[in-house]
Amino acid sequence: MSETGRFVLATLCGLVLAALVHIGIVFGIPWLGERDAFSRLRSTVAAERSELVAAPGATDTWLPRPDPALAVAACAYDLRDGPVRITTKSGPLFESLSFHSRAGGVFFAVTDRAAVRGLLDLVVMTRPQLDEALAREDEDEPSRDVRVVSPTREGLVIIRVLASQPSWRGQAEEAAKAVSCTSEPVGAT
Amino acid sequence: MSDAAGTAVAAQPAAPRTARRPIRRSGRLPAPVLVAYAMALALLVGFGSAYWVLKGEYPVGSVRIGPWTTWPKIGSREADPYARAVVARSGDVPLGVGEGLAFVASVDSAGRDLDATCSYRVGSMTPQARYWTLTVYDADGRPARTDLGRSGMTSAEILRRDDGSFLVELSRTVRPGNWLQLPSSASFTLILRLYDTPVAAGSAALDARVLPSIERGECGA
Repeated sequence: MSETGRFVLATLCGLVLAALVHIGIVFGIPWLGERDAFSRLRSTVAAERSELVAAPGATDTWLPRPDPALAVAACAYDLRDGPVRITTKSGPLFESLSFHSRAGGVFFAVTDRAAVRGLLDLVVMTRPQLDEALAREDEDEPSRDVRVVSPTREGLVIIRVLASQPSWRGQAEEAAKAVSCTSEPVGAT
Repeated sequence: MSDAAGTAVAAQPAAPRTARRPIRRSGRLPAPVLVAYAMALALLVGFGSAYWVLKGEYPVGSVRIGPWTTWPKIGSREADPYARAVVARSGDVPLGVGEGLAFVASVDSAGRDLDATCSYRVGSMTPQARYWTLTVYDADGRPARTDLGRSGMTSAEILRRDDGSFLVELSRTVRPGNWLQLPSSASFTLILRLYDTPVAAGSAALDARVLPSIERGECGA
């Protein structure tokens, strides 16, 4: 092979490998990165209450481009020890919950409009846990839980409460922090 | 003219000979050198391109409506791998479909970059939503820090005309009515967020008339 040919071949090999490196980085960052929302909130997995991420109007938050009218809180979950129950009382303020799987984006979202008698109550579980819960279920008395299947074992529930006027900010922050996210032992649901 | 052309022609046959000679003299490039070159190229181009594509806004899947840009798929399961990587890199938590939808503008309705030394009029309607917020961000993506201490407005705070339409004025100097102060940074970004909106399901069908326009006024404040 000529010298130029070898050089061109080496360049082509380099570019093909570059494409693989590119793809590897794009798919790897959600799993390996330490700056994503789940990694930042990993330490709160065991907490039974939501953790405030951004108070309304706050500038000292790691959230990029936060909405100053929102109180944002989060519950990080790990379904290894069983499903997690998310319960929140809806108040006069707009409130929404979004469910983010680790590295996989939003898989479910719900607003306070879905609340039944002022209560939003959902159970996050994995597919096997859902199968188990269905198998265990009494046919005459079906469970009334709203079950949300998480595509990954780890994930986040993000709570957003809107303070439509600055005077509501304190209340919005309280509401965002008051969401309970408790692990339920296997078989309880 | 003819002189230069003559020398160029005369030089041509000689040039390749002189260029090739050093390689021939030292023999063929050893294989390890070529492998190292290929590896270096792979790392440089691979990391470089990944960094470049992930550093800013979501690279694919955007819908442009007038001055506004939105990414209708990032709040759903169909988010593309690039969007997921950008979300992970920035620590962002996008609004879910069914929760709301965000529209980002860094240009005005005429397509010119938003300039904080100018004044702007934003209006006069938004798509249907339970609430919406309009926020000014400085060049670093932080809510604009201004003397007034407010960087955004919500639909509940806004003063409206009798027909329900509204106008928000953006400038560095005080204006009557709905006024948001622009930051001291040169450029800025606007984000309009619709909360609890039926639009999220079919944002591709939106047209510029239902979103507020961003008209530039006088500049040089």
